[in-house]
Amino acid sequence: MKINSKSFLLMVVGLVALGLYPVLVPNPYYIHLVETILIYAILLFGLDIVVGYTGQVSLGHAGLFGVGSYTAGALFFKLGVPFLLAVPAAIGVTAVFGAVLALPALRVTGPYLAMVTLAFGTIIQILINEMTFLTEGPIGIKVHKPIFFGHKLTEVEYFYVVAVLMVLALVVVHRILKSHLGRAFEALRDSPVACDCMGVSVYRYKVYAFVISAALAGLAGSLYAYSEEYISPNTYNFELTIMFLLAVIMGGRKTRSGALIGAVIVVMLPSLLSDIELFRKIATVLAVAVSGMAVYNFIRKVKTVRELAVPVLATMAMAGFSFRLENITDWRLTIFGLMTLFVVYYLQDGVVGFARELFARFAKPAAHASGKTPSIKVRAWTAPHKAAPVSAGPLLDAQQVLMQFGGLRALNQVDLSIARGSIHGLIGPNGSGKSTMMNVLTGIYQPTAGQVVFNGQSLAGQTPSHIALSGIARTFQNVQLFGEMTATDNVLVGLHHTFKSNTLDVMLRTPRYLREDAAAREQAASLLDFVGLTNLSEEQARNLPYGKQRMLEIARALGLGPRLLLLDEPAAGLPPADLPELTKMIQKIRDHGITVILIEHHMDVVMGISDTVSVLDFGQKIAEGKPADVQSNPAVVEAYLGSGEGAH
Amino acid sequence: MEIFLQLIYSGIALGMIYGVIAFGYQLTFATSGTLNFGQGESLMLGALVGLSLVGTIHGGPYLNYWVMIPVVVIFGAAQGAFVEWIGVRPAIKIKSEFGWIMSTIALAIIFKNVAENIWGKDDLKFPSPLPEAPIKFLGANVLPMEIVVVIGALAMMAMVELFNRKSIYGKAVVATSNDRDAASLMGINTGAVITFSYALSSVTAAVAGVLVAPLTLTGATMGSVLGLKAFAVAIIGGLTSGVGVIVGGLILGIAETTTGYYISTGYKDVPGLVLLLLVLAVKPAGLFGKMAIKKV
Repeated sequence: MKINSKSFLLMVVGLVALGLYPVLVPNPYYIHLVETILIYAILLFGLDIVVGYTGQVSLGHAGLFGVGSYTAGALFFKLGVPFLLAVPAAIGVTAVFGAVLALPALRVTGPYLAMVTLAFGTIIQILINEMTFLTEGPIGIKVHKPIFFGHKLTEVEYFYVVAVLMVLALVVVHRILKSHLGRAFEALRDSPVACDCMGVSVYRYKVYAFVISAALAGLAGSLYAYSEEYISPNTYNFELTIMFLLAVIMGGRKTRSGALIGAVIVVMLPSLLSDIELFRKIATVLAVAVSGMAVYNFIRKVKTVRELAVPVLATMAMAGFSFRLENITDWRLTIFGLMTLFVVYYLQDGVVGFARELFARFAKPAAHASGKTPSIKVRAWTAPHKAAPVSAGPLLDAQQVLMQFGGLRALNQVDLSIARGSIHGLIGPNGSGKSTMMNVLTGIYQPTAGQVVFNGQSLAGQTPSHIALSGIARTFQNVQLFGEMTATDNVLVGLHHTFKSNTLDVMLRTPRYLREDAAAREQAASLLDFVGLTNLSEEQARNLPYGKQRMLEIARALGLGPRLLLLDEPAAGLPPADLPELTKMIQKIRDHGITVILIEHHMDVVMGISDTVSVLDFGQKIAEGKPADVQSNPAVVEAYLGSGEGAH
Repeated sequence: MEIFLQLIYSGIALGMIYGVIAFGYQLTFATSGTLNFGQGESLMLGALVGLSLVGTIHGGPYLNYWVMIPVVVIFGAAQGAFVEWIGVRPAIKIKSEFGWIMSTIALAIIFKNVAENIWGKDDLKFPSPLPEAPIKFLGANVLPMEIVVVIGALAMMAMVELFNRKSIYGKAVVATSNDRDAASLMGINTGAVITFSYALSSVTAAVAGVLVAPLTLTGATMGSVLGLKAFAVAIIGGLTSGVGVIVGGLILGIAETTTGYYISTGYKDVPGLVLLLLVLAVKPAGLFGKMAIKKV
């Protein structure tokens, strides 16, 4: 959003350098090299969305790159389709391939996407080889540079086409990632459950991310076909996939500069690995550097000898090995594998992350001003007025809810009726089924039997995100914030539903998107003000103290504009002095017309503000009524303190 | 009809190999939630080490085929433990899914490259311990080695199952699979259990390698495709079901041999992927797998 002057300057320098490059270095070999770097960078922007932001591993991007190349290549070769149509077609076709792959593979969590995309990459290579009627098989396809108005582009002119498209891709990706879409990608990685409960469907946004990423791979692939002027199946192999992943990690995930640096590294890598003298020097320098670092870390006692032994021995062995080596090309892949291992474990945030850390260490701490005052005018929070209630009667009505895990009945035929505009306390000893009830109400668990009706509509079979959007928001007993995002961004994820803009609006920054973004930011600021976090709004959620994290969860849940708010132990972790303030806050939320279900162990809080209290014990409701009645109920006393008659 | 039956037979033999590799994925996935993307390379290394012992390539033969198997078992265990130590343990420590996927792949690339440099890039013939003349079985030809593959694969899986159910060490493995944290609180060294499961998984792959090698050719590149097919089997059968990998392996093996014969050998790998995507779309946990309940 805000462009600070330093990065603006850097951008201008970059653009000028890019524009002047062919003039300053007229050697066609080097122009082609940089062109390849730019093309890879486009793909890496996309791969970073999947790997860096959503945290999924794709081993199929070489395959998608190949689909893009061959779509453009085959359209050109078979039908003579011009550049301006072939490139969009390649983007579209690759995006469809991405969707076909992602729709089934992302339904399950875990390593499934990696496994399926790995299989996909192999199959694509087989298909390119076999479908000779389209792809000419192993012979490959010859493509020549695009022709505009009868003029065939020269290498330099094509360089500018690629450069412009790279800058466009950079801007578009950056805009997407800074918008509500990007926040959804980031959120689903940090906490999928909370993301679903904020009305942001994890599955849907994972698929979006993958499809956008595939489209970029398609663009890169088609540009590559025109750049190389010849494509053949062997290019799009498994090694290329690993190279792309290495580039993303080595450059630094979640940054565009990282993708660019990664592209430079992997394009230069093959030529680096073909020169044995150079490799020997690098290996020696690396061994000395790593040993030096190890000694330094050992003296400062941050690492143990055991931890340090592996990298030191490995780099020394590599240096020794490099001098015995006569033919480096035979061992290229081993070196490549060792580099991957090194990057995965010792350079997790990549070159960019490493540089940032160094910079942060040496820069004056004053430069890191966390207490920046937000430029947005803070207004008092008001709950958005939802449409008039659909039905009279209770807001939420759960009947005979049964939740069975194997032989255990976590909830045994529980009825729960929540009156509109009330604060409903839900108490019971640990393991009595309170949190299970929360999970049933928000759709995380599908009850074994029984039904839940919310605002006149049955919740049976609804997904958590759908239920959230229909007006039930929640907080979590064990805090589920989006740790790497700022407090403001956390609340903005809660406000995701206020965005009606589509991807195109985001790419073009249409007035509609800008209006919605401004409104959401204003609302987020007032929500943070409401829970008392205004001066921490730019702090990462994981750095907040525990009690503040709970407050942030409430603000985020309120962002959803709910009719019903489920608070799961909001007082846990709060200092006793803050309890009256929490009580006041909950009452204020109720006064805004939001019904509250409150799970809490602090009896004075629950009894003080609840209109009705229900008590659960061993999955059954044992009492319900006004706080005073419940408190004197013998069954409740027995559940909490045990009966006076001793053990049975 | 005779050809069809013959295709079924070779499909079964092939499918059992896929099944065994997939079984190896299950072993490590159960204990640690991770798997070795270089399982195919473990198979390849097992086969090539076996070849050096029984073949003439490195001045042998040193051993008889059947005596060689225990040596390959030891080699496989060491290789699996090495993969776990270098590639998986650090990733589990930092809870990085990306970490173990990338590092096992990186190790696989290294193993393949090293094998190319030791054994060469060309495929080698593995001497068969049994006569290579086919015998008639229910009206179609079957190779004696194919029967050994099926029996060997089933025996290996049965032995691991028996170990898990009957021995106290097996119970430690099962306990770790069910709940790693609880098992660790009960005094089980879960780190050792995970290392053990990796060793075991590589042993099954290495033995599968020497079983299948006489039927196919042996070479540095033999592993990647087998490992990949076994992924499909693991997903089709379910990452949690022992029966699943056998059935999944048979489905894939037979689909492959029949497609290869009736359509084109170039397309023989395609039905596997289509099946894979279909299973994921309809029943993501696999045909025999159970969906895990997520806890909040």
